[in-house]
Amino acid sequence: MSAAGKGDLTEPRQRQNTDLSEAEAIERAKLGDAEAFQALYDKHKRRVYSLCLRMLANTAEAEDLTQEAFLQLYRKIGTFRGESAFSTWLHRLSVNVVLMHLRKKSLPLVSLEETTQGTEEDSPKKDFGADDVALAGSIDRLQLQRAVDSLPPGYRMIFVLHDVEGYEHNEIAKIAGCSIGNSKSQLHKARMKLRDLLKANRAEKAGKSRAG
Amino acid sequence: MNCVELQNSLAEVEDGSTVEQRAHLMECPSCTTLVKELDLIIAAAGRLQGADEPSPRVWNSLEMALRQEGLIRPKRAGWGSAFSSSFSARWGAARWLVPAAAMLLLAVGIYVRRPFASNPSARQSSAIMPAVKSSELNDDDLIQEVTENTPAMKSQYEDSLRRVNESIQEAQGFVDESPNDQDARRSLMDAYHQKSMLFEMAMDHPLP
Repeated sequence: MSAAGKGDLTEPRQRQNTDLSEAEAIERAKLGDAEAFQALYDKHKRRVYSLCLRMLANTAEAEDLTQEAFLQLYRKIGTFRGESAFSTWLHRLSVNVVLMHLRKKSLPLVSLEETTQGTEEDSPKKDFGADDVALAGSIDRLQLQRAVDSLPPGYRMIFVLHDVEGYEHNEIAKIAGCSIGNSKSQLHKARMKLRDLLKANRAEKAGKSRAG
Repeated sequence: MNCVELQNSLAEVEDGSTVEQRAHLMECPSCTTLVKELDLIIAAAGRLQGADEPSPRVWNSLEMALRQEGLIRPKRAGWGSAFSSSFSARWGAARWLVPAAAMLLLAVGIYVRRPFASNPSARQSSAIMPAVKSSELNDDDLIQEVTENTPAMKSQYEDSLRRVNESIQEAQGFVDESPNDQDARRSLMDAYHQKSMLFEMAMDHPLP
């Protein structure tokens, strides 16, 4: 479906729900009001889905987990007392849903500690002569998305949680069950890897344009 | 501090602001470029938050699951308006309905829009309605399709089908009770929409 097509389907619903404040929507959702559920979904769907998509790099899985996150949220909405921001609650819950999924798939959340030792590949590069393509100017969002998608899952998770979603290292350590130092180390390696990927991408494009 | 030590230290202090880092950066253009490029990546990462829109299918499936679990509750008084606004919005996504569902919806649509109040034989015509049973949507065919293509989902579809048929019966009951109640009529239409969505999902995308 085209982007325009998606807009046609979703925009009228969003307009319809803009009159409902979040607090009002939460109270009405507790009573089983369909419009309130939809209003909350419309407000938060992009962030939840983007989080799932970035962490999983798979559209179908991201859709399934977005649904699962909202379903869990709505099951528990009766217990929400407003002590913390609703969005914080939802995003923490979404992260947990994704982590549970990754754990079920035995993806390398568990190997985080091992990777802090570093491999030859992960070690800092001494050969700076290879960095002949500069990452000057702004970085294209789609290019960065592709690069993030191609990161190893452990790196990707820390990068998304910290640099995209804004979690602190102590929060990530708690969520992922690793040390704060580990989280920092993984993040640094993730950024270095992204830099390499983005540079490789630019070098490839430059090569093509020279050849063309 | 040499280049390797500088790189390692960036895990702890990413902006290169310690005295040792600054001293190295003053005399090393490569590491200065590295710090700038990492800053660019960090800045660009923030733009990925909320950058993607989920397919309308996600809400459709979610709404169906919420109804199955009874988390969305129909309102007895004026319940039809909430029910219908939700489904009429969703209806736009259902472009590929199975013909049986579409034909039955058309028949139901004509029926529920007929003005009862101005028609003296309205009560009589309501007797026609029970003849248009949800079973005409070929429930067996739907289950057969699911059994063949996604057998693991069979019980979920059977459950969904049972619930949606109950919704149709319930809505039909309201229409029979109050034939002039537009909300009740819309709700009946919406219940059929819900069923057609189930057919669409079975043909196109299995329930999660």
